Amino acid sequence: MSLKSKLKETLLCLKAGRVTLPYPARGHPAPEGFRGRPVFNAAKCTGCAGCANNCPAREILVLDVCQEIRILKYLGRRCAYCGRCAEVCPERAITMSQEFETATDSIGDLQQRLELFMSTCQRCGRCFDPPSVLEELKLKGYRLDDLANERWVFGSKAYLTSEPAVDDIRIEWD
Amino acid sequence: MLKTLCQKMSGRSLWVYHANSGGCNGCDIEVLNVLTPYYDVERFGIKLVGSPRHADVMLCQGPALRATAKALRRAYEAMPAPKLVFAIGSCACGGGIWFDSYPVIGPIEKLIPVDFYIPGCPPRPEAIVYGVAVALGLVDKKTAPAQFKQLELPVPRYHPKDLLGSGEMVVYEKAEKV
Amino acid sequence: MNLLQPLFGALANAGLVLLLAPLFQGALRKLTAIFQSRQGPPLLQPYFDLLKLLGKEDIESGESPVVQRFAAYLSLATVLTMAALVPMGFAAPLNGAGDAILLIYMLTLCGVSTLLAGLAAGSTYSLVGVSREMMTMIALEPLLAIAVFVGAIQAGSFRLERVLNGSVYAAGNFPWSAVVMLAVMLFSFQAFVQKVPFDISEAETELMEGPLMEYSGPKLALFKYAQMAKLMVYSGIFVALFAPWGSDLAFPINWLFFWAKVCVLVVLVTLIAATHARYRIDQALRYFAGLLAVAFAALILASYGH
Repeated sequence: MSLKSKLKETLLCLKAGRVTLPYPARGHPAPEGFRGRPVFNAAKCTGCAGCANNCPAREILVLDVCQEIRILKYLGRRCAYCGRCAEVCPERAITMSQEFETATDSIGDLQQRLELFMSTCQRCGRCFDPPSVLEELKLKGYRLDDLANERWVFGSKAYLTSEPAVDDIRIEWD
Repeated sequence: MLKTLCQKMSGRSLWVYHANSGGCNGCDIEVLNVLTPYYDVERFGIKLVGSPRHADVMLCQGPALRATAKALRRAYEAMPAPKLVFAIGSCACGGGIWFDSYPVIGPIEKLIPVDFYIPGCPPRPEAIVYGVAVALGLVDKKTAPAQFKQLELPVPRYHPKDLLGSGEMVVYEKAEKV
Repeated sequence: MNLLQPLFGALANAGLVLLLAPLFQGALRKLTAIFQSRQGPPLLQPYFDLLKLLGKEDIESGESPVVQRFAAYLSLATVLTMAALVPMGFAAPLNGAGDAILLIYMLTLCGVSTLLAGLAAGSTYSLVGVSREMMTMIALEPLLAIAVFVGAIQAGSFRLERVLNGSVYAAGNFPWSAVVMLAVMLFSFQAFVQKVPFDISEAETELMEGPLMEYSGPKLALFKYAQMAKLMVYSGIFVALFAPWGSDLAFPINWLFFWAKVCVLVVLVTLIAATHARYRIDQALRYFAGLLAVAFAALILASYGH
């Protein structure tokens, strides 16, 4: 409680000037890796409903109207921006954007509704089953032996997709 | 004449009462951040007061719990008109991740009428300042419902069971409202 | 003729205090913000606050709505009466209406109105706030009374224009009692104007605003106005008792000098308020007890002619 410490505190604050961000006047972008509102890309979505099954807040609803049409609805109300839907989506159709300026006066503003066409087989009428992980592995190539130099290559360099699903773990292959 | 002046002034000086009805305190800390020098919401004339009778705006966080429902309702009724309610955080907007848990009644709307929603878990202090600015009319809101359609009804279908005896195809035209 | 001039003077003084009090409060908030490295509210913010409060709904609740109303009117009324008794650069308009003891009673009545407000509400928080305010008042009012008495002893009479004219310094002699009383008043000034180290009774987070808890709308505006005006009136009393130099110059200059001195005092109050934390009630009472002992010593010195 000494006077000297109070004076020092005042001088420090005065020297710092004004630290207030001029926020609504000038934008303030979010840092790298910030998880903002999830954005659904209807072009890439296959309607597997993996996101709906994994959402901890049960925020993504799925309704099959008929065999060909599946409606996927994301209500923005309870979303905790955890990012599990984006992580699980096999087609990378969901991205956690950097938007955080989502204040509104009617909560229905945050919803996104996708109507998806599920292609059906002409002969049996059932939907196409996307290949399982093992099947995709077999289709895309598992062995990359070097035929030109007649060398046997250990390990596999063929990933299921071009970039790894998990960003912060770098797995070094051969 | 004095009345219109007073009504115009009520946008320039909002007194805020902070009510946390059972949240995890994440949004509390973000609201506290908003009152610090870095984000400084006092430049809009907003002041934190300790009693609901002095306040114009109630900042609610946390879902509506059975235990605190009565207290929240009484705090809302203690505020003098004209009043606003801001629901901050996903728990207040929609019940949050805990929406089906045993003590949770649901979002705050089940107890008191809400005027502005600021979703986030927790919302960034900039998002809260943005919400306040939208409420004061300084900026426009940036969200709107989005709808994508990959296909329009009616959809032709070629399932053998559905093919009529004459070989015509069946056309689907119904779509239920979600 | 003889009656109209003091009346107009009193109204003018009261009007000036009413007009300028929110400006000083706004300057106080802006200065606090600058000391905390942030951009604060605009200077005219308290005017907006008061206008907004006038437009709100008036909820009457608590034990006794009649006493609630009475307390609100009483607080602003006593402060404005004191404004008419204090010389603000020129002689006070209502000089002949009373003496220094009337001033002390008016100040105490102003504090009593806060107590009435808390008692009228009747809820637990406001009762605790009232008890703390009572304890603070019991410790504080004697300090101001002793300052006025020392001035009266040195000046030889209780008349307001003799006492509130730097009488403590006994016509330029600067006795010891004056120096001691100046120090005591400087150390306790924050408590008179209810600013931070000593605003115990209306501690926001501890007591949900204390005695004023149940007030809303226009009555709250009256109380807030009274608090803002108290800052100005107490500064005026302090300046008149302890720093009256320049009050015998020509009309505009002495008025401006007075307001300059009040500004210096307000900046000092803000500086202390922005850098300190609030005291607990027992710490504050111990502080005041020490100051009271020193003030009594000054009184004894003054009565012996030092």
